[in-house]
Amino acid sequence: MTRDELVPLYGFVQGDTLGLLVLVRTTDTVAQLAAVLQEAATMRIAPSADVFVRHRHARLEPTLTVAAAGLTALDRVELVREANA
Amino acid sequence: MLKRQEWLDLARKLDWTYSYVQEQDVFPEAMSGRPWLEHAAWQAWDEPYRTTFAEYVTGQHEKEGAIAAVRDAVGKVADFGRHDRGWLSALKLHGATLPLAEFAAVVGNLRAARFGRDSAWRTTAAFGALDELRHTQIPLAILHELVGWDPQFDWTHRLFHTNEWVAVAARHFVDELLLGANPIEFAIATNFVFETGFTNLQFVGLSAVAHDVGDRMFEKMVQSIQTDEARHAQIGGPVLRTLVEHDKAYAQYLVDKWFWRSWLFFAVVTGFAMDYLTPLKERKQSFREFVNEWIIEQFERMIHEYGLARPWYWAEFVKSTGYYHHLVYASAYTYRATVWFDFVLPGPEERAWLAEKYPESWPELDPVWTRLSERWQASGPGVEWFTHGVTPVGFCSLCQLVLCGGTPAENSARVVERDGRRFIFCSDPCAWIFEREPERYAKHLTIVERILAGEAPANLIELVRDYFGLTEATWGKDARGGRYPFLVNSPGGTAE
Repeated sequence: MTRDELVPLYGFVQGDTLGLLVLVRTTDTVAQLAAVLQEAATMRIAPSADVFVRHRHARLEPTLTVAAAGLTALDRVELVREANA
Repeated sequence: MLKRQEWLDLARKLDWTYSYVQEQDVFPEAMSGRPWLEHAAWQAWDEPYRTTFAEYVTGQHEKEGAIAAVRDAVGKVADFGRHDRGWLSALKLHGATLPLAEFAAVVGNLRAARFGRDSAWRTTAAFGALDELRHTQIPLAILHELVGWDPQFDWTHRLFHTNEWVAVAARHFVDELLLGANPIEFAIATNFVFETGFTNLQFVGLSAVAHDVGDRMFEKMVQSIQTDEARHAQIGGPVLRTLVEHDKAYAQYLVDKWFWRSWLFFAVVTGFAMDYLTPLKERKQSFREFVNEWIIEQFERMIHEYGLARPWYWAEFVKSTGYYHHLVYASAYTYRATVWFDFVLPGPEERAWLAEKYPESWPELDPVWTRLSERWQASGPGVEWFTHGVTPVGFCSLCQLVLCGGTPAENSARVVERDGRRFIFCSDPCAWIFEREPERYAKHLTIVERILAGEAPANLIELVRDYFGLTEATWGKDARGGRYPFLVNSPGGTAE
């Protein structure tokens, strides 16, 4: 069983102007991580339903937890639009 | 009586052969820099100005008189009060980043005045130190008068004494460039790359912009500073020539390293001013046109003359002239409370101008300003927080600036693991500079690492107030509080 811990990640929303530091929990899903990223960039980038999270060039399954996806502190993750995949 | 040219070298070329000590004891490598060469390798050092102390004092006295006259005539609060708010922000940005950096340059020049390897070099560096002291004092004196009128001008002196993020990045750059560098690295980094390559020409361009804006005080100030810079920047060339002769690879490395580091800072400070903060009707050229005309052509020619190649990242640099300062400006606009000056929201006319000047990059950047304009329209004027971020942002482990490398489609930041620790770099050149001298940089903590270590608060308001030292009176805002004529035909928009 995964311990519920906070994980800081460097997040990059495609179309945005800078990298952000977002905080998620190991038990959060990748879909929740995507929502956090969209919310963090919302004043610059309009949220979109057609997005996915990418890590080390691989698309992450939205139902996976952060821990199961193998994300650890200060990893780089990207929020990519399907149209640009 | 001897004519000037008959005695000048007697007064400048004062080196003698040591008989009681070794030359290496007088000029140890740790202080004088590498490669350590006997004086014979440096004794041809010369520069074109060949100024005497009497000429220096007379010339500087005249310059001071001219500055004082302009200040008396047009350097009062009422004169500054007539300027556009965007231009005042450009003044606050330049005003804060300039004087204490110049003060650090006093130290760098004084080290060269003692440990430079030829006496003429040391003499010119002594003048350089006096120049830089003057460049510290002039902006402090001129802008101090404005503090009571606008407290953001207090940051002219305050910035470098705070942990505000621009200050952290500026110190990281300036401390190494000006305080920590030995005379050889200082001559290449500061005199050759930063001054000859960037600031000497930057001051020419900035004084022209100030003239167009009608700011005679700033115009006169930077003109006066530029005449000093043009002289003492000449230290770099002859040092580079000798370095290329004896260690070309090291010369190339220093040029590559300091061109990139200088570029990032230059792009932020001058790019903001030229493409966003100068009123549109006063803009004669875009920042990139200025860089192409004044920086790129000149720098390429210079390094070719010295037998060096363009920096290995040249293609990345050229591409960044269309993106980097735009990305940082848009990012900083949405985190404007974290700095000490205000930001202008570019309207339709400004955006059309930027689209014309940056046809390949602006289509990627314009949607961000559409989004911000829509949010101002939704909130109405005065509601700063609706167009302001609250999530902490990432900072580069080398340059300490926000992660704005690459393009909106593909940010160039990358994470690197080293000795069990994760570093993030905004660009490949920043990662490369770090990897060449990790012992120099690895212990420095970014703002993010300070937050994670509990040294700085994660809450943005606490970070801005308690750690950056900004207050509601001094933190950056939209220069017009969202009251733009172009937002008038919207539910929440109101004309000024």
